[in-house]
Amino acid sequence: MKNWIEAFSVIDFISIGILLTAVTLNAFKSIESYVKAYTINSWLLAGLIAVVAVLVGETHLYIAALLTLATKGILIPLFLRRIVRRMRVTHEIQPYISNSLSLAISGILVAVVYASLKDGIFVTGFSRNALQISIAVILISLFIMITRKKALTLVIGLLFMENGLFLAGFSLTFGMPTMIELGMLFDMLMGVIILGIFAVQIKRAFASADLDQLTVLKG
Amino acid sequence: METEQYLLSGIIFFVVSALSALVPAKKIRTTAYFLSLLGSLSFLFLGFNLITAAPASFPVLAVSSYFEFALRGDALSGFFVITISLITFAISIYSIGFTRDMARAGFLGFFYNILILSLYAVVLSENLFTFLIAWETMAIASYLLVTIERTEKASRAGLFYAVMTHIGTAFIIVLFFLLYRATGKMDFEGMKAGIAAMPADIKSVVFVFALIGFGTKAGLIPLHTWIPRAYPVAPPQVAALMSGLMVKMGIYGIIRICMDVMGQGPEWWGITVIAVGAVSALLGILYAIIENELKLFLAYSSVENIGIILLGVGASMMFKSSGLYALSSVALAAALFHVLNHALFKGALFLGSGSIIRGAGTGNMERMGGLLKRMPYTGLFFLAGALSICALPPFNGFVSEWLTYQSLLLGYQSPSITAKIVSPLGGAALALTGAIAAAGFVKAFGISFLGMPRTAEAKDAREGSPSMLIGMGLLAVPCLLFGLFPGLALSWLLPAVFALTGAFPALESHGVLVIGQTSAALSPAALLITMIFMAVAVLLAIRIMGGKRKTVYADSWDCGIRGLTPRMQYTATAFTKPLRIIYKRIYLPSRDLKVRYVLKPFFVKSIQYGGEITPFFERYLYEPVTGFINVVAGKVRLLQSGSLQLYLGYILITLIVLLIFGT
Repeated sequence: MKNWIEAFSVIDFISIGILLTAVTLNAFKSIESYVKAYTINSWLLAGLIAVVAVLVGETHLYIAALLTLATKGILIPLFLRRIVRRMRVTHEIQPYISNSLSLAISGILVAVVYASLKDGIFVTGFSRNALQISIAVILISLFIMITRKKALTLVIGLLFMENGLFLAGFSLTFGMPTMIELGMLFDMLMGVIILGIFAVQIKRAFASADLDQLTVLKG
Repeated sequence: METEQYLLSGIIFFVVSALSALVPAKKIRTTAYFLSLLGSLSFLFLGFNLITAAPASFPVLAVSSYFEFALRGDALSGFFVITISLITFAISIYSIGFTRDMARAGFLGFFYNILILSLYAVVLSENLFTFLIAWETMAIASYLLVTIERTEKASRAGLFYAVMTHIGTAFIIVLFFLLYRATGKMDFEGMKAGIAAMPADIKSVVFVFALIGFGTKAGLIPLHTWIPRAYPVAPPQVAALMSGLMVKMGIYGIIRICMDVMGQGPEWWGITVIAVGAVSALLGILYAIIENELKLFLAYSSVENIGIILLGVGASMMFKSSGLYALSSVALAAALFHVLNHALFKGALFLGSGSIIRGAGTGNMERMGGLLKRMPYTGLFFLAGALSICALPPFNGFVSEWLTYQSLLLGYQSPSITAKIVSPLGGAALALTGAIAAAGFVKAFGISFLGMPRTAEAKDAREGSPSMLIGMGLLAVPCLLFGLFPGLALSWLLPAVFALTGAFPALESHGVLVIGQTSAALSPAALLITMIFMAVAVLLAIRIMGGKRKTVYADSWDCGIRGLTPRMQYTATAFTKPLRIIYKRIYLPSRDLKVRYVLKPFFVKSIQYGGEITPFFERYLYEPVTGFINVVAGKVRLLQSGSLQLYLGYILITLIVLLIFGT
C-alpha cells in the first residue's frame, strides 16, 4: 500500500484536487455550487489525512480523518444547505468583478505563492507541494471573500481558508495533537452555526444579506 | 508573624465587606461597613508594626518568575498605611449613615472597599508588576465610583478622568521599563541596589516621566484638569477618599521612585519639583477661591495642597542632592506630615460638604446661608477643617506648613546659589497661597454657614445622622490633636524620613518642636496658651479702657428699607471680586453686563451680570492637543470605509506583500 501511494504521488494529486476545488469557486455562479465545492474540498482533505495516516501508521491520524469527514464533509455542508434554503437567496452570487478576471487573478495568486516559496523554506513534512498549495488556497479564498457580495459566500470563503490553514499546519507537522484538532473542528462548527444564524438575521433585519449594506452601520 | 496576620485579616475583612455590600438587603449592606472598619483597624496595626520593625516581605502569589504578585512593607509604606487606615476608618463610619438611602448603594459599597484595598496594595507593592495591577485597580474602581450617578455630567467627567489617568499610567509603565532595563530587576529593592548602573541622563528621563505620570494622579498643574471635573460629581465619601488618599498615591510614587529607588539626583530635579509645587499651590488656590460650588472649591483646594506637599518633597530632594541631609529630612517630614494632615482635614471638609449638600439640597454656596444654626455639629467640624487647611494654629495644618516654611527659609545654608534663590521664592509662594486660602475658606464658611438662609431649602436644612457626625468628628478632632501634639504623628513618619534621607529632622522634647542645628523651634501647646492669654488680655483691655457700656439689642440698620432680606447679604461672587480684579492677568475674565432701561439713563428695569474666567490650561494646552488628534483621526478615518471587503482586502494585500518580500 505504501509503495502504491508513493509510486502514484497520491499525496500531490489530492493536494492539487484541493487547490482546484478552491480555484473553481471563481467560476461558479450559485451558492449551491459553492457548498458542493466545499464538500468535495473537505472530502479531499479527509482523504489526504487518511493517506498520510496509512503512510505514517498512527492511530490518531485515522481519528482526525474521520472527524474531518464527519464535521467538514457532512455536518457543515448539511447545515449550509439548510441555511441556503431558509434564506431563499436568489442563487446569484453577484461578484464585484467578472468571473474571467477573478480566475486570472487567482492564477496570479498561485503563481506568486509558488514563486516566493519555491525553495521550500520548510524541509520537514511529507510533501514539498502541500505547503505552497495550502497557502495558495488561503489566498484564493480570501480573494473570494473580498470579491463576492453575499454574506454566505463570505462564510464559505472562511471555511475554505480554514481548510487551507489546516492543510498548511498538517503538511508541516504530520498532524497536530488530537486535542488541538478536536478543538479546531469544534470551533469551526460553532463558527459556522453562529455565522449562519447571523446571516439569516442580517437578511431578516435589512431584507438583504448583501455585505455592502453593512456600511450604513459605520459610526 | 503578627504582621502577616494583620495583613491577611485586613484583606479578608475588606473582601468580605465588598462582597456583602452586593447583597441586596439593606441591613447587610450597612453592616458591611462595620467589616470595613475592622479592616482599617487591622491595617492600622500592620502600619504600626511596619514603622517599628524591619522591612518585611509578604509573597502572595507567584504567577511566573517575572510576574510575582508580592507585597512588601517598609517604613514609608507603613506611614502611608497608617494614614489610609485612619482616614478610611472615619469615612466608613460616615458611609454607614450616608449611604442608607442612596441609589446603587450596593455597587458603591463594593467598589468603595475595592478602592481602599487597592490603595493599600499600591503602597505595599514589592515590585512593578504588583504596583501596576494595584494602580490600575485603583483607577478603575475610582472611575466607576465617579460615574456612579448616571448623569451626562458624571459620565463625561468619568471619561475625562479615565483618559487622563491612563495617560499618566502610560508614562509610569515606560519609566518602569527604563528602570527594569537598566537594573534587570522588577522589585523596588533590587532596582535600588542596581541603580548605580543607570546612566545619569536616563535617570533624568525617569524623573521627568515620574513627575508627569504620578503628577497626573496627584493633580499637578497643568495635569490637574480631571480633578475639578471628577470630584464634584463623585459622592462625598468617594471624593474624600480620592482627594484625601488616592491623589497621595501620586506623591507616594514620586517619593518612592525619585527618592528611594533612585536615591538622589541632580539639583534641578528638586528645583523642578519646587517650581511645579509652587505653581500648583498658587494657581490651585486662585482657581479655588472664585468657585461658588462647594465641592469644586474643595477640589481646587486639593490641587493647592498637593502643591504644598510637593514644595516639601522638592526641597527635600534639592537639599539631599547638595548633601544637606538634616535639612532634607526636615523638608520631607513636613511633606509627609502634610500628606497626613491634608487627608484629615480635606476628608472632614468633603464629608462636611456631603452633609451640607444633602441638608441644604444644593452645592452652590450662593443658595446656602445660615446653616450653622441648623447644622451646628457639621458646621463645627467644617470650621475645624477650614481652620486647619488655612494653617492657623493650633491646628495641624499650621505645624506642617510651618515645617515647610522653615525648611525652605533655611535654604540659605545650601552651598548652591540656585538653591539659595529658589527656596525663599518657594517660601514666598507658600505664604501667598496661605493668605489666599484663608480668604477662600472665610468665604466658604461665611457664605454657607453664616448669615440668613438664601433659599427655602437652606432654611429647612437638617443635621446629618449620628454616624455621619461621628465620621466627620473622627477626622476633625485629630486635626486639633495633631496640631497640639505634633510629636504623635511625627513619630509615625520619622522612620520613613530617616530611611530616605539618613537624618532625623525635628525632635520633640517636652512638647517643643526643635529643628536640629538651628534656632527654629515651635511649641504648639505654648502657642495655644499664649493665644488664650492674648484673647483674655484683649478682652480685659477693652473692658478696662472702654469703661462701662450699655448693651442695646435692636435690629440691624436696613437703610430704611424695612426688613433685611437674604438678598442683601454679601454674595460669594462679590466676596471674591477684589481678587478677580487683582489677578485679572491670571484669570483673564470676561464679563457680560446687560442693563435694560425703562427710561435711560436713570430708570433701570433689570440688570444682568455674567462673568466667567478663561480656563487657561484647557484653552491653550488641551484644546490644541485634542484638536490635533481630531484632525489626524479624521485623516485616518478615511481607511475606515465600513466595507467588510475592503478590510479583508487590506489583509490580502498585506499577506501578499509579506509573501513576496518576507521570504
